[in-house]
Amino acid sequence: MLKINGLTKSYGIFTAVDGLDLNVPKGEIYGFVGPNGAGKTTTMKIICGLLPADKGQVSVAGIDVIKDVRKAKELIGYMPDFFGVYDNLKVTEYLDFYASIYNLNPRDRKRICDDLLELVDLQDKRDAYVDSLSRGMKQRLCLARSLVHNPELLVLDEPASGMDPRARVEMKEILRTLKDLGKTIMISSHILPELAELCTSIGIIDRGKIVISGTVDEIMQQVYSKRFIKVRIRGNMEEAVKVMKESPLITNINKGDNFIEAGFEGNEEEMAMLLKELVTRDIPVISFGQMDGNLEDVFMKVTKGDEA
Amino acid sequence: MMKINPVLQKEMKIRMRGWRSAGMIGIYLVFMALTASFIMIMSRESYYRVTFDPELALGSYTGLAIMQFVLISFISPALTTGAISGEREKQTLDLLLCTRMTPLSIVTGKLFASISQIILLIIASLPIFSIVFLFGGISIKELLELFGFFIIIAITYGSIGIFYSSYFKRTTAANVLAYGTIAFLCFGTIFLTIFYIGIVYNYDYRGFFPLLYINPIIGFSFMLWEQFSGGSINLFPGLFMGTGISTYNISPWIVNLVFNIVLSILLIFLSANKINPLRIRRRTLFSSSKKSLNNIQYKKTKR
Repeated sequence: MLKINGLTKSYGIFTAVDGLDLNVPKGEIYGFVGPNGAGKTTTMKIICGLLPADKGQVSVAGIDVIKDVRKAKELIGYMPDFFGVYDNLKVTEYLDFYASIYNLNPRDRKRICDDLLELVDLQDKRDAYVDSLSRGMKQRLCLARSLVHNPELLVLDEPASGMDPRARVEMKEILRTLKDLGKTIMISSHILPELAELCTSIGIIDRGKIVISGTVDEIMQQVYSKRFIKVRIRGNMEEAVKVMKESPLITNINKGDNFIEAGFEGNEEEMAMLLKELVTRDIPVISFGQMDGNLEDVFMKVTKGDEA
Repeated sequence: MMKINPVLQKEMKIRMRGWRSAGMIGIYLVFMALTASFIMIMSRESYYRVTFDPELALGSYTGLAIMQFVLISFISPALTTGAISGEREKQTLDLLLCTRMTPLSIVTGKLFASISQIILLIIASLPIFSIVFLFGGISIKELLELFGFFIIIAITYGSIGIFYSSYFKRTTAANVLAYGTIAFLCFGTIFLTIFYIGIVYNYDYRGFFPLLYINPIIGFSFMLWEQFSGGSINLFPGLFMGTGISTYNISPWIVNLVFNIVLSILLIFLSANKINPLRIRRRTLFSSSKKSLNNIQYKKTKR
């Protein structure tokens, strides 16, 4: 659906995007992650025809964005990291205005607006003025706006920034529904946990280049060749650490108040043996298990930015 | 079915909502009504005269026309200087530009929303303007000429406003520069003419100085003058008004209208180019020429 080859964009001597390559297949939710200033927004703006590229090719559903930007814009729905709303315009009028740009007849526009308001759960606010909506509602309305022309690719720049936890959950639900409807979604964020559970694949960008790309599991495997385990115990901490250190498979022990985290370079059978050893040595184990991949560690490891 | 520019449609909806537009029409009509009342009071002396008084007809028509010209000159730029910069301030410009709308249709939509408001003001003032028919002597052709001139002036001033609005991020800066440019066209050209004639011709210049063709006040005055007068007058060096011994072949107000139309088209295209995110930037051209210059220098040193 989205293909980027050798995309380069510079502002004076600063290179924001440096020969970026990217491929997002149809129906994916692609998480575009990177520290502030890594080139996420610049890349997204080039995809949407809002910035000229210095070099490289961008195509959406086979249409060259740089050569045929008007046609490509009909396939793209863009939601920037700000609201962009007019005063003195009601919710339905706001959506109707953007729908009218795409030559839809008034009857279709009304039906589309109703459907979109239902999707983003704003039916009750249809006659409210846009500037009277809460932040979360405005963000949902902006998402609905980006969908008025039924685009195939959705480009969402930091859609969850500044949202409270409930609003984030609601936004995730909407994005899952859109995925089920067959939309391809490219979503950027600098907060990884937000995207980890939502995205089918992730690309980490740093200083204008994709440093790592793939599914979350693939990324974890690429970055770490070992597993991480977490053992929660009730007392006898020193003895537990001693037992674990005795094992040649254990690396990097990290001691907490009532838990131990450690790297483990063995298979599942060897992991069971370690648990057996702990119990045999009278360590009061409450829980023992493999830790889920910590993408934030991956992020810190592969990027060199100052902020995350 | 004819498709209305979506920006124009939306702007008209927003602008006509609330008290602002009604307030503006109200204030506009108060100024026009005050002018008309003043003319009526002045004409009371000749109220019971049965004969036609051409001076009174000319006075009422000119008075109302001048008031309308002044009001349009103040209102038109004010309606457009926030058109593009306001979209930037509200962060809605990118949202418009990422749709299938072209930058030119965004600019024209914004401009014609303002012009339609000016047309509304002109139409709203028609009942007051009809006072001139009480005195007779004014034909529909002259009124149409006058209103046509007003609309062109509104488009020109509106284009100046939209031009600065697209080039400057802040509406305040766009406002200052738009009014500054209009002040230059209206008064700066007169000062420059007098100054130039003073230095080069020692104030001995009989005729129409070409710079004054671009002055809207002069154009407007000429239109009124030609509608009513057959006489000649040399107002100041460089401004000879009259139909007798003239130094111009085409009426200055026609030349002024053509200049205004050309200027408006140019400014609209420049504004559209400015907001086009994919335009070829001058900086890019400059940097590429700088690069080639560096290459030449590099080759020279290599040699």
